Amino acid sequence: MRPRQFKLLAVLLAITALPAAAQSRSAQHGEREGVEVKATPLTRPAVLAFYQARGFSAQAISPYADACVFSFELRNTTRKTLRLRLADWRAQTAAGTLRFRLPQSWEAEWARRGVAEPARIAFRWAQFQADIEFAPGDWIMGMAALERPPEGTLRLTVPYTIGKQKHEIVLDRLACAAAE
Amino acid sequence: MKSFSTDSPAPQPNERRRTLMRLAGLGCLLAAAPLAAQGSGMSTVAGMPAAPPLALPDIDGKVVDLASLRGRLVLVNFWATWCPPCRREFPSLSRLQKLFKPGELAVLAVNVGEDAETIFSFAGASDVTILLDRDSAAMRRWPVKGLPSTFVVDKKGRLALRAVGGREFDDAAIVAQLRGLLRV
Repeated sequence: MRPRQFKLLAVLLAITALPAAAQSRSAQHGEREGVEVKATPLTRPAVLAFYQARGFSAQAISPYADACVFSFELRNTTRKTLRLRLADWRAQTAAGTLRFRLPQSWEAEWARRGVAEPARIAFRWAQFQADIEFAPGDWIMGMAALERPPEGTLRLTVPYTIGKQKHEIVLDRLACAAAE
Repeated sequence: MKSFSTDSPAPQPNERRRTLMRLAGLGCLLAAAPLAAQGSGMSTVAGMPAAPPLALPDIDGKVVDLASLRGRLVLVNFWATWCPPCRREFPSLSRLQKLFKPGELAVLAVNVGEDAETIFSFAGASDVTILLDRDSAAMRRWPVKGLPSTFVVDKKGRLALRAVGGREFDDAAIVAQLRGLLRV
């Protein structure tokens, strides 16, 4: 392997390994009777890299990357359909309750900033969907950002309904990814 | 064996930068990817409404129209290369297609928002029909609630099954569901 190729490979390995190293400390997982939620804080460089690779400028995506972004996974292994809305999620911090900024609100901002359509499409579908029904066996991943970064850890409550019954899963001591 | 440098032209700086960016960005999601298995089975669609229209160019620019496939089952999978569960389930689409005769099942993998170069760098010469929904207009007409989302259109053109999230489509449970629809 020529030195130039070796250098390229080293850079590739470093960049692709960075997000895993940066976010693995504080991923949280919660489960309640067949419904599972996993939250993984994503570092600012990882978020910037992902969206820049989809066509955002660093300047355009910075407000999102700065807002404390998580990758969420939700899985329904029950035998019933469940429904949840991102708007109902609550992040309790020492300073009060925060909500997640909904994808529609970000999309309006991208339109105002003139972000190209392919980048906006990728953004839309990379988000945790705001209002969704999960049939048995369904699962989904997606990102979401708080309306502003909290100080310290937070207690995230994820409410959902199965039929008319309300349930919730709580993830304690969740934290944004450490600043790089 | 010939070395890379004599066999292929050196990548151009812009091309190399693009590749690095793509890999770095994908790492963001792959790092958060679940260790758990893909989902299982597909759900029935209540009321079995008619499938929305779908006519899109394939990777060679030839338009494929869902309406022209009436009379066989069509599995329509919405996906993107940056979506980890989409990447994981993609090979199973091809395996599924091989389990059925061409007149029984067609598999359409609808890529959302990406260009042919990006798709080809992931899928290569896949034997699944890949359609390009560059502006996601087709996807908005379908009841898609996240990526990946998959639907099975029955022989009469109705939405019969759906799945949100990754699956192994050659899983016995899904194959049995499809064979059941063939008998209807």
